[in-house]
Amino acid sequence: MTAALLSDKRLASLPEGEKGIIKAFCDDSAGSKLVSVGILPGSFVELVRKAPLGGGWYVKVDGQTFALRQEEATCIVIE
Amino acid sequence: MKESPEKPVSYTIALLGNPNSGKSSLFNLLTGLRQKTGNFPGVTVDKKIGALPLDAGQQAVLIDFPGAYSLYPNAQDERIVVQTLLDVNSPNYPDAAIYVADTTKLEKHLLLFSQLKDLGIPLLLALNMADVVEEEGIEINTAQLERQLGAPVVLISGRSGAGLETLRTKLSELLAQPNPVPETKPFHTLQGVELKVAGVVKSVLAGVNDYQALLVAHHCQWLPFLSDHQRFVIGNAVAESGFQSLHLQVNETMRRYDRFTPIVRNNLRAPDTKTDGLTANLDRVLTNRFVGPIIFLSVMLLVFWSIFKWAETPMGWIESGIGALSETLKTALPAGWLTDLLTDGILAGLAGIIVFVPQIAILFLLISILEEVGYMARAAFLFDRLMQFFGLNGRSVVALISSGACAIPAIMSTRTIGNWKERLITIMVTPFISCSARLPVYIVLVGFVVADPESQALAFMGLYLLGIVGALVAALVFKLVLKTGESSFLLLELPPYRLPVLRNVGFTVWEKVKTFLLEAGKVILLLSIILWALASYSFPGKMGAAEAQARTEAISIAADSLTTEDLIAERQLEASFAGQLGKAIEPAFRPLGFDWKMSLGILSSFAAREVFVGTMSIIYGLKSKSDADAEAEDYPYLRERLQAETRNGEMVYNRATAASLLIFYVFAMMCMSTLAVVKRETKSWKWPIIQFVFMTGTAYVASLVVYQLLN
Repeated sequence: MTAALLSDKRLASLPEGEKGIIKAFCDDSAGSKLVSVGILPGSFVELVRKAPLGGGWYVKVDGQTFALRQEEATCIVIE
Repeated sequence: MKESPEKPVSYTIALLGNPNSGKSSLFNLLTGLRQKTGNFPGVTVDKKIGALPLDAGQQAVLIDFPGAYSLYPNAQDERIVVQTLLDVNSPNYPDAAIYVADTTKLEKHLLLFSQLKDLGIPLLLALNMADVVEEEGIEINTAQLERQLGAPVVLISGRSGAGLETLRTKLSELLAQPNPVPETKPFHTLQGVELKVAGVVKSVLAGVNDYQALLVAHHCQWLPFLSDHQRFVIGNAVAESGFQSLHLQVNETMRRYDRFTPIVRNNLRAPDTKTDGLTANLDRVLTNRFVGPIIFLSVMLLVFWSIFKWAETPMGWIESGIGALSETLKTALPAGWLTDLLTDGILAGLAGIIVFVPQIAILFLLISILEEVGYMARAAFLFDRLMQFFGLNGRSVVALISSGACAIPAIMSTRTIGNWKERLITIMVTPFISCSARLPVYIVLVGFVVADPESQALAFMGLYLLGIVGALVAALVFKLVLKTGESSFLLLELPPYRLPVLRNVGFTVWEKVKTFLLEAGKVILLLSIILWALASYSFPGKMGAAEAQARTEAISIAADSLTTEDLIAERQLEASFAGQLGKAIEPAFRPLGFDWKMSLGILSSFAAREVFVGTMSIIYGLKSKSDADAEAEDYPYLRERLQAETRNGEMVYNRATAASLLIFYVFAMMCMSTLAVVKRETKSWKWPIIQFVFMTGTAYVASLVVYQLLN
């Protein structure tokens, strides 16, 4: 896994409906949680929609759907 | 394995798998009605166990573990799995495990399997969703999968029950093997610092293999079975050797995926046409940022409307049934204190809880359907941001809704919230939501505040809303007071929508109702007897004196015989132990507008709210023996009784008093069982005590304000 840089594109900055491939996570704390549910570097990810009031990120990873918080979505680096 | 010469061999089998893998369905299918709920030692996480019939000569107990993604836990329920499977001396340590995986997501569902394999637990892999597999035309090379994963594989359906016979046979075979764990290459081979620290663990903890030792090192700070010495030695080794737990976890997990992903891809061929169109389409509407919350609120309104509407009829049956039973007993049994105790004490008290059964059953029915369908996860997604504002988590929504039925299962459901502060706040404020035990109190009293049915419906809604507002405001206060550096997260799987399996819903409802009846029943039975005795007896001579005094009074006002009877009963109640107790505490509640009878009702309610109606029935039922045809358990009857209650010519249950009582019941912490659960979940008396003081204090102040304003 490559280390994340500030200039990297984050999942949180994608517009709704945009797709990408996960490259890395910003830190091991979030990373360890994400990999345990199957959100892995190399996974296909799509930001499906955002919940009201700027929270809740509905994402699809390798065909599975998850709800993330902004913090988690910010932590996912995509290419 | 527990072997003794005279008994046949009994095995302990663990049922493990990811959340949403269909584990509970399989458990219900395998054990049927032979299941019961217990607790894992030291925690309230439900442990469901059930007898599992196997081949002749083999007996097995199946333990349903909480769903977990990994042996690196993110929340309390996952920790249970870890601490049980790492402790070979635990009574729940399994002889073998059935691992349930969703075949359509096998690539993601084998992480925990690979970890369990490395722990050395004999495993049987149950590939769930056989029906979907067939529908979608997925091809599986079972034989090769068995070889490469090193475990027998069975295709099953938790929905239709297909494949269960094969599963039983294969499990029997697995248990009969002298050496059930085939020698395969571990999924994760320890390297460098891992080996070094694992070596230290092995030196202080006998009989663990490499991977067990590694996990003990990762979790040495919280594993409850470690001695202080072991924790100290392992902790030192971890600190000194540069063992970066999180980093190593990520690397290990990635290596595991690298190992089993090719195995899955080689043996499982799925056509490209994914049939998740329905879920995607539904979610386009249900999780829409504008429409979603409106739908959610409508669903909730519908749920609570149904509780009232559908429960009416069965509640009527129960009431008249118990009333008839009470009458039959009164006529059939000889008059005397035992009959009185049975009818006025025990039956009146029990009636107070049995009438809730329809409402509790309906609420749990609807909630478990919403859960089974997959909607609750969407609610958590929709409201996570709002909940964060109040210091809660999206998952708190599930707890807050469930507490509309009962705070106890609601508090237990918070174990899926990983962040301690968010979980604690949810636990602390959940009892503010009006549970079904408050309902009868509301039903009896609301008529004294507003008269016409429409206003009463509005008042009901107002009381519920007040509870919700109370919970949210309290959450805000706790959020500001409590400090934590722990990071919080949502990370919630949104499973595809599925039709609910009615068997699972049925089991949930049955289990909740049974628990409610047994737990609440015990308390209420005991309290009813105590209360009846207190209200019927006094110090020697006091009752006689009260009767004599009443007779004198009756003569002085030239009362007829019926009024005289009433007067005697009234004076005797005042003279009884209960009367004296009520009068002793009356001054504390006087500013809120409560007389000594209400104070007594409230005092008894601190055991459980639902006792209030029972207490009132007993107090007012005892007042007159002349109404032989009256059903003391009936709400309308009790309401009439309360209405007829006067002091100095004025109604005792006037608007201000009734409103004040209602407000008190909305906010006050009056449930010993809830406090006990909070104590177990938070592992200290501190939090239940704070909760009790906080809630009851709020209730006192709010009632005081309401009474003084209205009076």
